[in-house]
Amino acid sequence: MSPTSEITVGAVAYHPRVVTVWESFRDYFRDRGIPTDYILYSNYERLVQAVLESSVDIGWNTNTAFVALERQLGDEAQILGMRDIDAEFATVIVTRRGETFDRVQELADRRLALGSRDSGHAAILPLYYLEEQGLRAESIRKIIRFDTDIGKHGDTGDSEMRVVQAVAEGEADAGALGDATWARFRTEGLPAAAELEVSWRSPTYYHCNFTALPSFDLELAARWQAALLAMNYDDPSMRQAMTLEGVRNWLSGNRSGYKSLAAAMERESAAV
Amino acid sequence: MNPHRLDAELLELGGGLEVLLQATLVGIKPDQQVDVTVLSRGTALELPGWARLHGHEVVDELDRGAGGYVVRLRRGHGERVLADGVAGHHDPPPIRPGGELHSSDLRGNGGVPEMVPRDVGFVPIGAVAEKGAPQFDWRLHRRDTIWAPEVADLAEQASGEQWDASRDIPWETARDLPEHIERAVAQVMTFIAQNEYAALYVPAGFLPQMHPSYAELLLWLSSHIYDEARHIEVFTKRALIGGYQGYALASTELSLHSLLAEHDFTAAALLLNVLGEGTFLDLLRFIERYAPDAATAAAARLAHRDERRHVHFGISHVRHVLANNPEQRAMLVHSAEQRAAKLTEMSLSPLLTEGLMILAAGSLRPRALSEGADAVRALMQTMERNRIRRLRSAGFDEIEAHLISDLHTPNLM
Repeated sequence: MSPTSEITVGAVAYHPRVVTVWESFRDYFRDRGIPTDYILYSNYERLVQAVLESSVDIGWNTNTAFVALERQLGDEAQILGMRDIDAEFATVIVTRRGETFDRVQELADRRLALGSRDSGHAAILPLYYLEEQGLRAESIRKIIRFDTDIGKHGDTGDSEMRVVQAVAEGEADAGALGDATWARFRTEGLPAAAELEVSWRSPTYYHCNFTALPSFDLELAARWQAALLAMNYDDPSMRQAMTLEGVRNWLSGNRSGYKSLAAAMERESAAV
Repeated sequence: MNPHRLDAELLELGGGLEVLLQATLVGIKPDQQVDVTVLSRGTALELPGWARLHGHEVVDELDRGAGGYVVRLRRGHGERVLADGVAGHHDPPPIRPGGELHSSDLRGNGGVPEMVPRDVGFVPIGAVAEKGAPQFDWRLHRRDTIWAPEVADLAEQASGEQWDASRDIPWETARDLPEHIERAVAQVMTFIAQNEYAALYVPAGFLPQMHPSYAELLLWLSSHIYDEARHIEVFTKRALIGGYQGYALASTELSLHSLLAEHDFTAAALLLNVLGEGTFLDLLRFIERYAPDAATAAAARLAHRDERRHVHFGISHVRHVLANNPEQRAMLVHSAEQRAAKLTEMSLSPLLTEGLMILAAGSLRPRALSEGADAVRALMQTMERNRIRRLRSAGFDEIEAHLISDLHTPNLM
């Protein structure tokens, strides 16, 4: 089959394991009669452009990338799927033990550490939800940003690690990060995480999704989605790749979980 | 159905809560729910993220004030380990009188599998293999082509009879022998050490081809290799301690080279264990008897003890193969012929026979040398007689045994 008859998926190479994941997924889709190749980008901005210019058919986007894409498109894109972990995503704010807070207003006189500024879960959404609950960013005593791996939208987890360390070491008083990242830090025994506790948990939102332009062939999109949703974590040949991708079940996804981020990014761009 | 209940008290993530949760969730069915009570709000707040990471879901959270927080978890689908579950309690292997636990008792009623898939990897005896592991390709994966009924016990003996070539030999006794005696010892020791290299490389070559499911054979081959390493060590040390060098003879090398060319496990066992090491048993006895010093005698005695095990394995293995597959008889005779065809020497190197005669004579006096020559002649006869006896014991008939013995290398190994 010629390369042009393949579906192309763009993804961001935030870690070498992305190659392992997509080599496996490539075999998987080929074996199901829907040849799929992948193209890796170094950052989500390029990936979004690639989808908009139809250089790739589908983008494996973060929530931030998805919202940015729809804003540039000025239309609703097709969502072809997301991981189970992407539904019910939440941000937590951690503090040192004994320094927890009940109302977000109590954060006003503290130093708040945030992850990379392009990370939905570690920077954009925590500020948005705090404001929703009555604490404006301007009234927080100090915001300390760890803008590492810009362009990767927080995928590497590096900025969240720095947030946790900053709070544990007293450089900040509170820090925001993804709830699943936090659970991983805790159960993996990260020493800094043992000294902190969760004081606040945001409402839930969606994270990554597979995005295609509205013009992408609907029938082809449906076939590709059906193959994606059939991927089984109990299939020994897929478990390693799915574990590396952090997925146990693929869900069809929808746009209901992106409203808060869209509003937050709208607000951010208005403020600029 | 009412949810299960779990009181986690003060536990939190990273501090043991995840262990308690997993232990609870493994005991309930997918979609069943468990109410987890925790004392701190922070812990209640971090449970949804943990649950999602592990394929479960928090469906409700309740603040009970002083009573703590109740987080209702729904168990997800999907197994943590992709394998048939481990069975419940089984009859553990027996402990023998004296408190010993033997490898041959580990298998239980299942016995040793006749064949194992070539691609299965490192799964210890009794363990349940998870699916999705990388695939291997083990060449030796059929029991009856590699097995010897006593292999586990032989490996057990090998562990129990380890010795130390640096400390268990009275090295100081090997100094200051007369020059002609010491030169003879150095040559004989060099010859033996040279042969022990081949005795190491042959089992070492088969080890990485051996299917891990036959753990008894891995233990056996490893002990065999280690024994030979120590033999190389002890005979090299004895060759050098008296201050003279021996020759590593090309004819010896040729014989050993042809031994390494054998890639069939059973043929190699016949050529190395039964014929080569079998013949060496008689040689080592001879050296122990005529050794001019206690160090040489001790080295020969300790090596002999190890070689006996190796010969035992070889005979037992070949007998097992011939009993299960009589057609192998022709192949084994052929392998002896093939090797003989590559050997150009007609007899043991004169440097060796001379060295052995001097050892047996204890001096260069004519009368003593005459007795030494008689002793070496007798040794050669003993070697042949015992080779035929071992071949018979391995399952060959009288004619085959004579034929194979005659084809055996004049180099002894």
